[in-house]
Amino acid sequence: MRYALLILLFLVPGLARAQAEALENPGAVSAIQERRYRMHHELLLGVGVLPDDAFYKGLTGNVSYTYHFSDTFGWQVGRGTYSYNLQTSLRTQLERDFDVAPVSSASEDQVQWMVGSDLVWSPLYGKTAFLNSTVLHFEAFLLGGGTVVKLNRSGGFRPAANVGLGLRLFSSQAISFRFDVTNNVVFTGASRINNVLSVQLGTAFNFGATE
Amino acid sequence: MTPRSLIAALASAALLVSPRPATAQSGGGSLPMPPPPSGAQRPAGAAQATSTPAPAASGKPAAAEAGKPAEATAAKPAEAAPPAPKKVDPAVFDEALQDYFDGKPRDAAGPLYAWLQQAPKTDENYAWGQYFLARSLIDLGLTHAGASYLARIARERSNPNVLPRALDALKQLTDRPHDEVMIDEQVFGALDLGFLPEETGAYAHYQQGLVDLRVGNERWANTHFAKLTETSPEASHARFALLVTRLKSVKEPSDELIADFLTLSKDEKLTREARNESALAVARLRYERKDYPGALEAYGLVKLPELDPGRASLYLEEAWTRYKLGELRASLGILTTLDAPSFRDEFLPDKYLLRALIYRDLCHYLPAKRAAKELTRRFADSLEAVRNREDLTQDARLRRAANARGSTQRAARFVEVLELEGERLGRYAGSFGDQLFSHLTKLYDLSRAEAVRVHDARLAEAVRQEADTLLRAAEQVRLMEYEVGLKLYERVKKGAKVVAPEDEQELSPANVAFRFDGEYWNDELKSYRVRIESRCIEETP
Repeated sequence: MRYALLILLFLVPGLARAQAEALENPGAVSAIQERRYRMHHELLLGVGVLPDDAFYKGLTGNVSYTYHFSDTFGWQVGRGTYSYNLQTSLRTQLERDFDVAPVSSASEDQVQWMVGSDLVWSPLYGKTAFLNSTVLHFEAFLLGGGTVVKLNRSGGFRPAANVGLGLRLFSSQAISFRFDVTNNVVFTGASRINNVLSVQLGTAFNFGATE
Repeated sequence: MTPRSLIAALASAALLVSPRPATAQSGGGSLPMPPPPSGAQRPAGAAQATSTPAPAASGKPAAAEAGKPAEATAAKPAEAAPPAPKKVDPAVFDEALQDYFDGKPRDAAGPLYAWLQQAPKTDENYAWGQYFLARSLIDLGLTHAGASYLARIARERSNPNVLPRALDALKQLTDRPHDEVMIDEQVFGALDLGFLPEETGAYAHYQQGLVDLRVGNERWANTHFAKLTETSPEASHARFALLVTRLKSVKEPSDELIADFLTLSKDEKLTREARNESALAVARLRYERKDYPGALEAYGLVKLPELDPGRASLYLEEAWTRYKLGELRASLGILTTLDAPSFRDEFLPDKYLLRALIYRDLCHYLPAKRAAKELTRRFADSLEAVRNREDLTQDARLRRAANARGSTQRAARFVEVLELEGERLGRYAGSFGDQLFSHLTKLYDLSRAEAVRVHDARLAEAVRQEADTLLRAAEQVRLMEYEVGLKLYERVKKGAKVVAPEDEQELSPANVAFRFDGEYWNDELKSYRVRIESRCIEETP
């Protein structure tokens, strides 16, 4: 009881000050604006890399179509990625200098292409000032879905779960730029999984959005 | 000496010694003419040429004037005769021209001036020399000096090939602060319009119509405006000028007048500024007629460039309109806009009054009292200066407010331009040579003195108007303080209860809200809304 009184005693000046502040400057101010950029039918063309495998790096070309139900929720109906793979110097060195080939799975797990579909949730929409002279609008989103991955082996179709996040920078109502980082958890065997990290940069064309 | 020549000599002498008239004069009009080419060819009128605004020889051949009696010269003391200029090789003109076309106006200016001093005015290249000297000076950022040479070409009209170019160049210079008397009145306002190319002619007709409107002769103005092509930008500007002039003379503006302004506010041939002015005129007229929704609609017609903060007076007017419409929170939001750094130096005494009124209407009496007191606190020095009958032009706030509007603003900007160009001239002291440099220094000194005189005259009147505005607002605020003081200590009747809060507008999915935390973003200035509860009580439960 004594402690409660003591705490109350300490709180009183703060509360009184807050009340005085509210009395002197009543009200809360917000800038309420029309949302400037709204997505509807989105076609994305992009390029990227599959950077995380030590024995190869994939240079990817990507295309996708997304339907946006609202400003915060959309469905990436389909996406396709083709990967042009380059062997790393590590693998070359192993083969040339030590006459050692990586385990076969390392070669066979190379991604050739993949297709999939995701749900997109965009909880963040904001703006930032560029050089104190231009206002840039952006949104950040999370996505998750499923993928079918074609690996570099015969009959190499494997399922995968895809999760990632991205950032979209609006340029105009029709064009925006997207930066996506996703990870496909590929079920390469009965008890084996392989993570395929993908980083991509693309231009998104937006159709059918109202002002 | 014949009586006529005696009168001429006396007149010349009188012109030499008489003070400048008090009316606005062109700084460029006082441009000292270059000394005549030689003593033998000096025109009879040369005595006044060094100090009178009008061109001395009026384009007459010097040789023809040499035969006239030299009575006029007698008026001038012999010891004051200027030293004869050195001979300049005619090739100097060609070399200077070559320098100009090689992109070296700095090298071209001095020789061109030296050549102009030496060459007779009847030389077929004389006007070209003036023109390229003007262009060189403009290219070097000495626009006023360049304009003064272009104006001389326009007045002397010695070469019909140069004239249209000179007028075009002058027309372009009117887009920036310029000598209104020298260019608008003495050149475009006084041109013989028969020979001009269409575009320049249209501009000249427009300017001459404006001059007529300024002196209150609408009929004469209409004769000029009638010659403008209906679809030309000048015709739209002329309609705007006519409407503004009519607005000054009518007590109760008609629907037709408002409709005309509305048409102009959508006329793409007008500049954006003129369209906005038309929209503002519509809004103000509708406000005066208590058509507040209509006024609000007209404010919406004002279009600003991306991220342009806009004009404080526009925001304040819109705030008043919303207040009259009962949109207190929206009005308070606009007043938040007016606290932005972009408008911190604006002279808006009404802002405090309106804020106090809104708080009073929402029964927030302490903030209302504070807002009212803020006006007297913020403008204490200016109010004190008014009460003490001090020189109001020395009051920084009133002076800044007066300099921010209308003709005073134009005059202030012109003074700034002259000061800037005067400083810039110093950079060319070495490359211009003594003659041109001292000539231009004198030109800028004279022009600046005249511009300052015109500005001071306008400032005195404008400052008085701003002081009136301040006093009216201060008076209103005192009443407000009294009223709020009564309300503060009013007894609450038994059974009274707080009025039901207004239903707040829900954010639509298309809306996005950014909570304001004191950081102003230009793109948000038009979007602030305040959430504030009314503390008023219902007297009758």
